[in-house]
Amino acid sequence: MTALAGPRGSRLHVEPSGDAPLVWIDIAITGGAALDPIGIEGLHRHAALLARRGAGLRNRAAFDDALDGLGAALEISVGRDSVVLSGLALTRNLDALVELAADVLAQPRFDQDEHERLLRETPQVLDEVRDDDSALATRWFDYRCAPGHPYGRTALGTESSLARITREDAAALWRAEAVCDNLVLGIAGDVDVARAMAIAARLTERLPATGAPPPLALTREPAPPGRRLVVVDKAERTQAQLRFGHLGPRWGDPDTAALLVVEAAFGGMFSSRLMQEIRVKRGWSYGAGCAIRRSRGPHWIEMWMATAIDVAGPATALTLDLYADLAAKGVTADELDFARAYLVGAMPFHLATARQRMQLAVRDETFGLPVGFTAGLPGQLGTLTVEDVAGACRRNLRPDDVVTVAVTTAEVAAEGLAAAGAGPITVVAHDAY
Amino acid sequence: MTTWTLDVEAPLGRQATVRRWRLGNGLRLLTSIDRGAPIVSYQTWFGVGSRHEQPGKTGMAHLFEHLMFNQTETLGPGEFDRVVERTGGESNAATWVDWTYYRLSLPARDLALGVRLEAERMTRLVLDPTTVEAERDVVTNERRERVEDDVDGWLDEQLMALAFEHHGYRWPTIGWMADIRGLALDEIRAFYRTWYAPNNACLVVVGDIDEPQLLDLVAKAYGDIPPAVLPVIAPDTEPPQTHERVLRAPKPIATDRVLIGYKAPGQAHADWPVLELVATLLAGSPSSRLHRLLVVEKELASSVDAQLTPFRDPSLFRLAITVARGHRAEASLAAIDQALAELASAPPSPAELNKAKSLVETDFWTSLTDADGKAEAIGHHEVALGDFRGVTALAAALAAVTAEDVVRVARTYLGRSTRSVVIAEPDPDGDPGEDSEESDDGDEALGDDSEVSA
Repeated sequence: MTALAGPRGSRLHVEPSGDAPLVWIDIAITGGAALDPIGIEGLHRHAALLARRGAGLRNRAAFDDALDGLGAALEISVGRDSVVLSGLALTRNLDALVELAADVLAQPRFDQDEHERLLRETPQVLDEVRDDDSALATRWFDYRCAPGHPYGRTALGTESSLARITREDAAALWRAEAVCDNLVLGIAGDVDVARAMAIAARLTERLPATGAPPPLALTREPAPPGRRLVVVDKAERTQAQLRFGHLGPRWGDPDTAALLVVEAAFGGMFSSRLMQEIRVKRGWSYGAGCAIRRSRGPHWIEMWMATAIDVAGPATALTLDLYADLAAKGVTADELDFARAYLVGAMPFHLATARQRMQLAVRDETFGLPVGFTAGLPGQLGTLTVEDVAGACRRNLRPDDVVTVAVTTAEVAAEGLAAAGAGPITVVAHDAY
Repeated sequence: MTTWTLDVEAPLGRQATVRRWRLGNGLRLLTSIDRGAPIVSYQTWFGVGSRHEQPGKTGMAHLFEHLMFNQTETLGPGEFDRVVERTGGESNAATWVDWTYYRLSLPARDLALGVRLEAERMTRLVLDPTTVEAERDVVTNERRERVEDDVDGWLDEQLMALAFEHHGYRWPTIGWMADIRGLALDEIRAFYRTWYAPNNACLVVVGDIDEPQLLDLVAKAYGDIPPAVLPVIAPDTEPPQTHERVLRAPKPIATDRVLIGYKAPGQAHADWPVLELVATLLAGSPSSRLHRLLVVEKELASSVDAQLTPFRDPSLFRLAITVARGHRAEASLAAIDQALAELASAPPSPAELNKAKSLVETDFWTSLTDADGKAEAIGHHEVALGDFRGVTALAAALAAVTAEDVVRVARTYLGRSTRSVVIAEPDPDGDPGEDSEESDDGDEALGDDSEVSA
């Protein structure tokens, strides 16, 4: 991996590989949906998708024709911390892809008809989320986990917030954030460093050098204390899609290495406690796991599973008990040893391809972390003790403040869930948010 | 039986070579060296999938995807996963209609461990009642999550049940719920003895390997395993479809969901690459015909996808549509009919054809960028179609498709009389329906609220 000061204040990561005649380009614009104005949730997503729908001299149809004609792709993903344009092209078509991507960055058209069309389309994406129980559970969990926290804001928006988005606001946001010193560029595949530098120069040459808004101040504000249970009522469910968690530390916190062990031992492997207790011993769910959300600021510690509706209550109670035990006692020496071996051995799989290495480097950079932070975490595990891990658990795990979200049929599941010790119950319609 | 024969050597992609070796007991070993990372993808493919099951016993092949991670004669319960995870590796498996495969992703230094584990569970799996019942519960929960409570999973299994009357492709790989619950322990053991044998298996090992060492390890671990007498599989033919079939059912969803299946040839057929290109041309990119017509111009749908199922026997060319708010499925079906009629009447322009070819070329290279992807491509072509060289041959065939080929296959395969259509409609009252109840023969999960026409 080559990390470089990119042109005009941008940052650049290059990972050459001759395995295939392909080149991947990631352009991360730091900011992201956490910066959406309150009440106008969905603005970053709208601006980014609209920028992709016509740029330079090409309207949407001409742009798609040009891009597809190359066999290339230029996709948009909108996260809490950044908007990422991900390009892929055959080597022989790389220059043409770069020209199209540069147009999106510097000269998006923001055509009125496409703005209006996108406003009609996005509510249908909301429908698709509501039709998908897992996605719906995640949407509600994000919403209810830590009310008021920027990461709780929906990147997709709501029907009411979408109605407040204007074409002018979207264009202004794009112009403000697509500036050189706000970009992290990653280029991987069939290129050398010199060509990658030339590509970076082409992508940035028409952009302002500076001027992005300051990053959002993301603090670890206390959430309302106490457990809470939200039942998202949806008809005809045979299962409960369950999410549990609370606001945790940021990725990069001094406890990150210790919490990586906690994540692996509790819910990050097949051998972890949650999988063994929920799936292997009881057969209650096909999968069960936990994760610390990777973000620039403090984000959730989250657990998940999908149980048959008749065991949703017992599964919730057991999960909360297991989590309380973990918070109080940490992990055993055997678990620490096992998790350490797993995490050290697993890292080469996360860094196996040029694209993986590039994407990890870009992500660390957008989180404001040093180059190689995540790849270097296994190296920090060797000196960890069970006491270190127990301390990290005490500082970061809050079993008494866990928010539980269950997407299920309330009239069937609510009684069992209410008896699970998950806190006061609120029942909401599945399409109320 | 411990002597290797080098059967075939052929290039794959830009820099890789694949070698196929055979052992005396019929075991095939396909190797490809990739030193991009110190890891190995060790995959064991068995030539048994859901199509080899019997009606009333569906879900058997998939159940093994779970059972194979449990106890063996030398590994205690849960030990398989623990020893793999202690290396930093991971294990997984997949079952589909024509095959089942088991994947170990291991650090290269632990290759010998992978050989030992896979050889062990090929013939020394312990199938006791406790293990089977625990995994049966897990599978029923998997089915609830992926089918009962997932409209896309429901559409998928209903389409196959509607489109096929005889062929084993008509039941879902995960199995009907009643069948999963009813599989008996002696039947499970018999299935294992029948299909899990070296002469029904193909090892695919891709990564940072020392090939002579691998050959030695595999010969020692597998060489003494006797071959099985494999069942002779009669050709599984499907009577020609002569009329459109349509099924509708209410579901708790916001707008209509439609899944269409046109009868299509098996993957080894010469027309398969042409149809693959047609799928790209119709719905493989933002400028594709159906995306532009249905999603952008008419705004009848919020998404449209095309997929040609890569099955050994004749299967389906599928179109999946999520209907837009304020519209119904019929408008999308009419627009699709119009688009397909145009495709069958006039050849695509050179630019449009070249666009589709560039897109599939990008997909081809993308599929070969990591060790697991290479191994999956090799294993599928070797086990489902008989020769791993089909990976490269398919890429060449796609590049050779002509505009006239496109018109010909559109006329041949994409007519209404050979299609089946499943439509999930918003349930107006949201009351629990009966559409997941199974019929008496446990074969087709159509319920009282479903309507079938032909």
